[in-house]
Amino acid sequence: MRYYFINQDMKEFSLDVEVQAGKVMEFAYEGAKTKLFIKKLAGKNYYSFDQVAWKKLPSLGVNETLVSNSEVYKVYRGYKPSGLNKGGAGALITHMPGKIVKLYKKEGDKVTKGETVLILEAMKMENEIKSGADGVIKTVNIKEGQAVEAGFLMIEIEE
Amino acid sequence: MKGKRVLIINRGEIAIRVAKALNELGLVSVGVWTDNETEPPHLEYCQEWVHLKGNNNKETYLDIPKIMTLITDFKIDAVHPGYGFLSENKEFSETLAKKGIIFIGPNPVAVHKMGAKDISKQIAKEAGVPVVPGSIGEVPTVEEAIKIGNKFGYPILLKAVAGGGGKGMRPCYNDKDVRDNFAAVQREALSSFGYAALLVEKYILNPHHIEVQILADKKGNVYHLFERECSIQRRHQKILEEAPSPFIGTDEALRKEICETAVKCAKAVNYDSAGTVEFIMGEDKKFYFLEMNTRIQVEHPITEEITGIDLLANMIKVAFGEPLDFKSQDDIKIHGHAIELRICAEDPITMLPAPGRIVGFETTFPQGIRFDHCIYPKFTITPDFDPMLGKLIAKGFNRDVAIRKIKNALDGLIIDGIKTNIALHKVILNEKTFIKGEYSTSYITTIKPQEKVAAKEEIQAFMLKVAAIEMNQVGGLS
Repeated sequence: MRYYFINQDMKEFSLDVEVQAGKVMEFAYEGAKTKLFIKKLAGKNYYSFDQVAWKKLPSLGVNETLVSNSEVYKVYRGYKPSGLNKGGAGALITHMPGKIVKLYKKEGDKVTKGETVLILEAMKMENEIKSGADGVIKTVNIKEGQAVEAGFLMIEIEE
Repeated sequence: MKGKRVLIINRGEIAIRVAKALNELGLVSVGVWTDNETEPPHLEYCQEWVHLKGNNNKETYLDIPKIMTLITDFKIDAVHPGYGFLSENKEFSETLAKKGIIFIGPNPVAVHKMGAKDISKQIAKEAGVPVVPGSIGEVPTVEEAIKIGNKFGYPILLKAVAGGGGKGMRPCYNDKDVRDNFAAVQREALSSFGYAALLVEKYILNPHHIEVQILADKKGNVYHLFERECSIQRRHQKILEEAPSPFIGTDEALRKEICETAVKCAKAVNYDSAGTVEFIMGEDKKFYFLEMNTRIQVEHPITEEITGIDLLANMIKVAFGEPLDFKSQDDIKIHGHAIELRICAEDPITMLPAPGRIVGFETTFPQGIRFDHCIYPKFTITPDFDPMLGKLIAKGFNRDVAIRKIKNALDGLIIDGIKTNIALHKVILNEKTFIKGEYSTSYITTIKPQEKVAAKEEIQAFMLKVAAIEMNQVGGLS
């Protein structure tokens, strides 16, 4: 089975895994092979690379996101998605769910790079969302007071 | 006191901490749940669960009439507000007092005088306690704030009158900053505390944030439980605290002076509960009164660890007119050293909140560790609430031992599925300014530990994620 990991910046890793009897997993990454052993103890899964040193495997594997400090990877099992679009400097996309507190611009308005276009409140903090490019507002998909999910395209700016 | 019904009008780890103390004292702990958090982990520790209808904090944890209805409907005798929300709201404590409901906190007059930062400063001044120069009372307009900025000289700080915990607070370096930020701080103040008024004060550079824990009873006895140093902050919000302060160190005369000054402040308002007097201390070790928090604080456990006194239990006992667990100031001594790390759902580098869903949670801790938290696997962190998930506390024979223990505990704390600031704490605990105990509140902006947060060994992390997903696919091992 091949796994794909793709982060916010479209950095991509792929990893092959072969599971043997549910207890040994053999990984292939860039030509090198690594064996990972799994053992159940007191209701929890433990892993080891050498069958001597064991550590808890904490993840339940229920979500398809891997968080490594500040990097977030989407995990795809067995396929690589097509049509992933990061959006250019003119696309204002939410990085976390929040609420639009203030919208300073409307469609057709001119903006300059670094100018505050709107204020997004998330976790009791107000974040100024600034334009990434000089241009004209092409589309506005939000209004004041609206709650938005992460990854939502709020505003498009035509450069 | 036994058998009285106490409503906990809070959530998260503090609701759990309060519920545990209530249960221990033989009171009935009544917890609430809301429509935007239907499975809050604190209910597990509450004996009764009550529905507080509403989808946002204004309709729930800040809605006084709605809370008063619950109090009547469920025959509540007393209320514990935790921290944040209505914990320092004078209207709430007055409303409760009028209805004859016990507010587990100070009397309404003390909440009013100390809870409003503008009045508290005046009181401190009158009690002969040094204060930071700033506005006397509320500053209603931008123009007024600019006038004060020019009078005392920039930088100045715009602060919510009802604020605390770093929310509703922004430094301004010139007239333009004040114009840009005034309305935003007002909005933050309104949405977080239900009260938009602001005040302005001079912004002292590189200060130490040192605070003194107070515990007072209804008979006029006011005790201090020594100090905490909370200088490691981001966005004026603490992320690491320790007790006693390494900056005061072995200077027992200074320790005595600051603690006795705090007692003087508390006595000036006839304080009668657990509270904290906050000071800022310059490099010259001169200190100024900042504010008094008339509530239990997030970082109260480190004081509990070094003194052995249960602050929550004592706070509840005095509210019911019961005696404290100790008899005199001489009963309170510092034993060892304690450090607390706030574990938050946030990016360890940008330190911005990062909501999400926890998929795995494991702890393996050494002796001397306490973890006050509300984490469980499958817990979803929404943007509706503060990103703090828990507090990791280490108690050691001395500061070096406490650091050793908390470093080991951090290695054993695994929270999977969301970004957390664990990686940032690991950098701070190994950084030499911190180890020497010489940090000030500018630590995060000048030392920049966040820039040393390294990416994990990615390939190994990928393998473990794949292993977890595969284990899930095959239904785990038999």
